[in-house]
Amino acid sequence: MKQAKILFLIIIALLPLVLVSCATWGTQAAGGWSGTAFHDGVIYAGTKDGRVVAINSSSQDLQWSRPIVTEPSGGMSCGQSSVYAPMYGTPIAVGDLVYIGTYSGNVYALTIAQGTDRWVYPRTGSIGAIVGSPVIADETIYISSSDGMVYALDIRYGDFKWKSEPLADKLWTSPTVMGDTLYVSTFDGHIYALSLEMGELLDWSFESEAGFASSPVIYEDTIFLGSFDRYLYAVKKGSNVPMWKFPQEKPAGNWFWASPVVNEGIVYAGCLDGKLYAIEAKTGEKIWEFDAGNPIVSSPVLMDNLLIVMNESGTVYVFDLSAELEDEAVPLKAISIDADVRSSFCAQEGLVYIRGEDNWIYVVDVDREGVSWKVSLTIEE
Amino acid sequence: MGFIEVWNLIIGNPVLNVLIALSHILGGIFGLAIIVLTVIVRLISWPLTKRQLNSTKALQDMQPKIQELQKKYGKNQRKLQQEMMKLYKEAGVNPLGCLWPMLVQFPIWIALYQAIMSALATTPESLLGLAQRLYSWDIVNQAIPLGSKFLWLDLGSSGDFILAIIVGGTMWVQQKMTQAPAVDPRQESTQRMMTLMMPLMFGFLTLIMPSGLALYWGVSTIIGIITQYFFTGGWGYLKFGSPFQSTPTKGK
Repeated sequence: MKQAKILFLIIIALLPLVLVSCATWGTQAAGGWSGTAFHDGVIYAGTKDGRVVAINSSSQDLQWSRPIVTEPSGGMSCGQSSVYAPMYGTPIAVGDLVYIGTYSGNVYALTIAQGTDRWVYPRTGSIGAIVGSPVIADETIYISSSDGMVYALDIRYGDFKWKSEPLADKLWTSPTVMGDTLYVSTFDGHIYALSLEMGELLDWSFESEAGFASSPVIYEDTIFLGSFDRYLYAVKKGSNVPMWKFPQEKPAGNWFWASPVVNEGIVYAGCLDGKLYAIEAKTGEKIWEFDAGNPIVSSPVLMDNLLIVMNESGTVYVFDLSAELEDEAVPLKAISIDADVRSSFCAQEGLVYIRGEDNWIYVVDVDREGVSWKVSLTIEE
Repeated sequence: MGFIEVWNLIIGNPVLNVLIALSHILGGIFGLAIIVLTVIVRLISWPLTKRQLNSTKALQDMQPKIQELQKKYGKNQRKLQQEMMKLYKEAGVNPLGCLWPMLVQFPIWIALYQAIMSALATTPESLLGLAQRLYSWDIVNQAIPLGSKFLWLDLGSSGDFILAIIVGGTMWVQQKMTQAPAVDPRQESTQRMMTLMMPLMFGFLTLIMPSGLALYWGVSTIIGIITQYFFTGGWGYLKFGSPFQSTPTKGK
């Protein structure tokens, strides 16, 4: 009887721990939230089940689907059985190739026609997990990695050009290229400037007390980026103090996770507190704000004179930037896709291309104020 | 409001935010924050620990009487068992009492496991999810994201053998110090199995759980050993042998 009691106690004692270790309650497995890219009538995106797809926007047909398979990471813990690589960055299509980085630490160049591998970097093994999107400039692809380094590769053959020295524990943001300099923000609160040619650190860097959550955006000679301390920073290139921090009085309700966009001297920044802020780029003064009701995870997108903003619960808000917007701005249109959205999206010729967390691509027609068409990215078993 | 929301509101989020705030105060060293939190948890659970230690000390004080009983009824197991149970009852102690403080700590372990995994935010989803669980304290938001390195450990990863040996070893020592002598050979066999199984299980759990949680177990157990040593004045049952070791069980 006593033996049974003791065994019962042991089981009761260990069961919650084992259950918790296998459950997603407490932590969330890497699933990916790759955004959409639109190029020559084709939508490119990474799917929730680790594939890169090309969808013809005219016929709405799947043109090709390329599974990105990775070696299982092994170990004894639960939840590591998936062999498909999650993707967070947005694919980028240039010429006859589409490029994407994976969380398994590889950069892929796939042919636009069929999705076959042109090259993979590294050819064997992997670098640190890639979360940010690749950037292309001057026949070179630049990508930041969770090993804390920025890599420069030749876009035609994937040949290694250079890698930076380790800049942080990990880099999850995307680099930004301006002129002959590459800028990268880090979780430990630095903005580094690297030479585009050789990747060496330039004299100037900026240090903040709090880590930077978003990738840097450069407008004229100022860098705009969001921070974990619930401020948006504007930093003049070459300066060691911020030009301004927004909000000016007290911090916002949450982090500025998404990169802002800048248009005609106005910074549009979405915040995880659900608000979109329009800020004077030179002074950091608020022009107007809009409460989207849910966290803004994706960066806003400009389409002609329209500003497209989306909240996490999948409502697309359209603002007419040519109109005079008051303190409390009212969107021109609000269109719901009924799906959560965390990935970046793109917009062109009146259509917004969105990949939902439900693994569907939604194409929203701004003029018609609704979903024009949608396609599931899940392969039927 | 579902169970998870209530759990997070009452236990999960306070533990998470305190842990992150501690990390910021301690220079961003997350491992130190876990150690300090462990000390805080041990202080909060001191009334329970004290009760357990009193019970252990009472059992130790009874050792001479137990040995007398063993000499007297060594050949009659049933009688020995009855007399030992009577002795325990008279002294108002429960040989299994030491397990309850451990059970009471489970919600804290679970909250700590969640807090470590959430705070370290090893995946982009976890980091984004963390935003909705943080208080608006500047001290918390300025600490994000946390570094996971501490000594030789990556606190968000599992599979560290050295830590598994430390956790298993210290747990074995603590078990030996607190476990009262069994009242019969069958119970002794169960206890021996438990003394071995528990450290082995926790050693194994250390290999599959994030090192941050195992760090909590290791530090908590070491604090337990030190407290036990000074409270009961020595190594406790580590120095006592089994009352059945020299007694053949065939007469049972």
